[in-house]
Amino acid sequence: MRRVVITGVGAVSPHGLGAEAYWAAVLAGKSSTGTLTRFDPSAFAARVAGQVPAFKTQEFMPKAYRKAVRIMARDIELAVVAADFAVRDAKLATRGVLESSGEKILSDGFFKPDPTRVGCNIGAGMICADLNELTAAMVVARNDDGTLSLAKWGKSEDATKPSGMESLTPLWLLKYLPNMLACHVSIIHDTQGPSNTITCAQASAGLALAEAARTIMRGNADVALVGGCESKVHPMGLMRWTKLDRLTTEHNADPERACRPMDEQASGSVLAEGGAVLVIESLEHAQKRGAKILAEVAGMGATATGVGVRDTEPTGQAMAAAMNKALKDAHIGADAISMMVPPGFGMKATDLAEAAAIKTIFGPRPVPVVPLRGGIGDCGAGVQALDLVGGVLALRDQGIPPAVNCPRPIAGLNVPAGKMNGPVDAVLILASALGGQNSAVILKRFVA
Amino acid sequence: MRKRVVITGMGWVTPLGFEIEAVWRRMLAGESGIAPTTLFDARTFPTTFSAEVKGFDYLAAAGLGGKQHSAASRSTLFALGAAKQAWAMAGLAGAKLDPYMVGTYLGSGESGVDFDPFTRTGLAAWPAGANELDMKVWGTRAMNAFDALREVEQEPNMPITHLAMEFGARGPALNCLTACAASTQAIGEATEIIRYGDADIMISGGAHSMIHPFGVTGFNRLTALSTMNDNPRAACRPFDATRGGFVLGEGAGVVILESLEHAQRRGAKILAEVMGYGSSADAHAVTDQHPEGRGAIVAMKESLRDAEMGVNDIDYINAHGTGTKENDSTESFAIKQVFAARTGGPATVPISSIKSMMGHLIAAAGAVELITCVLAIRDGILPPTANYAHPDPECDLDYVPNTARKAKVDAVMSNSFGFGGQNDTLIAKRFV
Repeated sequence: MRRVVITGVGAVSPHGLGAEAYWAAVLAGKSSTGTLTRFDPSAFAARVAGQVPAFKTQEFMPKAYRKAVRIMARDIELAVVAADFAVRDAKLATRGVLESSGEKILSDGFFKPDPTRVGCNIGAGMICADLNELTAAMVVARNDDGTLSLAKWGKSEDATKPSGMESLTPLWLLKYLPNMLACHVSIIHDTQGPSNTITCAQASAGLALAEAARTIMRGNADVALVGGCESKVHPMGLMRWTKLDRLTTEHNADPERACRPMDEQASGSVLAEGGAVLVIESLEHAQKRGAKILAEVAGMGATATGVGVRDTEPTGQAMAAAMNKALKDAHIGADAISMMVPPGFGMKATDLAEAAAIKTIFGPRPVPVVPLRGGIGDCGAGVQALDLVGGVLALRDQGIPPAVNCPRPIAGLNVPAGKMNGPVDAVLILASALGGQNSAVILKRFVA
Repeated sequence: MRKRVVITGMGWVTPLGFEIEAVWRRMLAGESGIAPTTLFDARTFPTTFSAEVKGFDYLAAAGLGGKQHSAASRSTLFALGAAKQAWAMAGLAGAKLDPYMVGTYLGSGESGVDFDPFTRTGLAAWPAGANELDMKVWGTRAMNAFDALREVEQEPNMPITHLAMEFGARGPALNCLTACAASTQAIGEATEIIRYGDADIMISGGAHSMIHPFGVTGFNRLTALSTMNDNPRAACRPFDATRGGFVLGEGAGVVILESLEHAQRRGAKILAEVMGYGSSADAHAVTDQHPEGRGAIVAMKESLRDAEMGVNDIDYINAHGTGTKENDSTESFAIKQVFAARTGGPATVPISSIKSMMGHLIAAAGAVELITCVLAIRDGILPPTANYAHPDPECDLDYVPNTARKAKVDAVMSNSFGFGGQNDTLIAKRFV
């Protein structure tokens, strides 16, 4: 089996654009959650969100591709931007990089990969249609009683006017297919190797990384773009999670303090958008092209909780089993872990279950437990990708960041209140999805 | 040494029925599951027909009484129904298993929106003459109109969530959604999970239903669907010169994948072996396939390489064969490139598309087609491509037209290609 290393990271988060902006904010213990401004949330009890600062997607792709932005839902735009950051960080002269920056970039240490040996595996969520676009089309086919007339939706009574469905752009469906994150990225960067889209909510990115890493281990690709992106900042997202009682309603006045993972005063999660793409490659490929190696992929474990759609397993047994599988896969013991990143939703029941799982694995040893979502919130399929970037950069910089909004950690957990110095030899990143899918990834410091 | 992976159970819920043998008989007889749409009023839509699953009392038929599935979506119920059959066929009911070594990997699609509350809420919140929603009105109404559980049950990871609950499967749990290639990809990747040693058993396949107003709208706007409204049974015409689009179907297919050693240790009946899996991306366009089938060729070649088999070893190809102009000619072209070196040439490999009879099950299509391949191996008979009447010079291979055919079938290849350029191929073989 070949060794797999990480050579590039790209993030798009409420902390800003790029992995460095993300990491600087994380190290500073900054919170970037704020009042939800994307739409008017005044009808809802929770009005806080982690929103990505304004950006122009067109600037992250070759000119010739810019018209495709019209058929990109927000989730897709996030992935396109994150991927651009990641391939540039890895100094890969993909088609997208070459077409937008020119051949001159090759003299700047950039390497042109064989497109057939580059894979793409980007986790995604269920993408909501733009409500204004869809409702504008529905209005064309409204019945007097306020329902939608399917007859008028299909065919207009006035032949000179479009019907409801005809009011939608012909490519409407393609804005919302979850695999379009990976598809646009694969087209822009010409990645012709194995491509997949994992849709396991918050556990997607770790599962995607694990799957793509094994593709490289067994020799089916040399490089892969992996990660996940999602925007939950959508009226349907707010409605759904409000109805599921997932969101805090206690911090509308101090939104930066809203998301409090592992804190005794946690009162719910925060909607967010964002995600990340990482470049992974075989060690030999990275060394041959002289890439800077940020970390090594050491082990992966996946399990399912299987207790119910909305239920939590209070013992955290399945999460512990995922961590155990990852440790076994990495051939290391729990005592080799320098820092642990928990899911840390900031919801009482799930935080307690995670704490139970952490104690099962790490026992009384006070491993630093660093939830990275306190300043961001929950961006679904993107969230573990950001956690992975945090793990990679902790290894690169040999520093453990502080937890955000966690002044009173759950008893028995070592949650650092301030930045700590290394050594950071191995990081365990655990994610758990709404639905009970768990993924654990262990990254370690690269030693040749 | 990687582990060998075998299939020990199969189940499906399809427009031709929901029991392995009955569906197989109907398929061999060339019957059609395509008829006017009844799930919603589609009479004014460009396409008024589809391939629906009919008369399936999901919960009762599958013995799924429990409250835990009460709000499950249509595709989750399809997945549960198919998985129940597969689990029973594999002889796993009541078996003592390590729950952390039993995983799930489906290629399932998300469900459509909860149509009534969704449309009512939107329309009520659109002020006359305005060009955007009044979000205050929308939010207030939405909080009353929608049901929390019905919303979360639309998520694409819900079918595997329910499978994990139903079968106590606590091993690796994944769902992939690569459009029409999803369940082929799921079975390929689930095979890799067993080969690696992360699970002894994977419940794998896919489930999907897009026969809802916005699903059909999406495909109709893309002009991807057949509009042969006067003759639905003849509407799906893979490889025929007069083909005019695919027919939307729904359903689920589930296989039990198992490491050979685990299957043998418990004395399971082995239905076939999964030999090879190939996956690629066209990296070409979000709508169109690469015109020379670049990615499709790679997927087929990779599956052969993975299986350590040659083009002479393949006895049958179950085509993606959607019945669209583009897919069928591109797929034929790609098969010709891959099978050029075959003794006697590419026209000596029989190819068929069962979508001609049960429509396109989208994410679930590949799983149902792999099950069909295993039955072809078992019985030595190839299902036909129905509605084949007019040869197309661009599709000049052997498509097993209209009538099932007896043949020696030891190894089969199954292709699935998705919107966005995802290509996946599986090879299965008679177990020796």
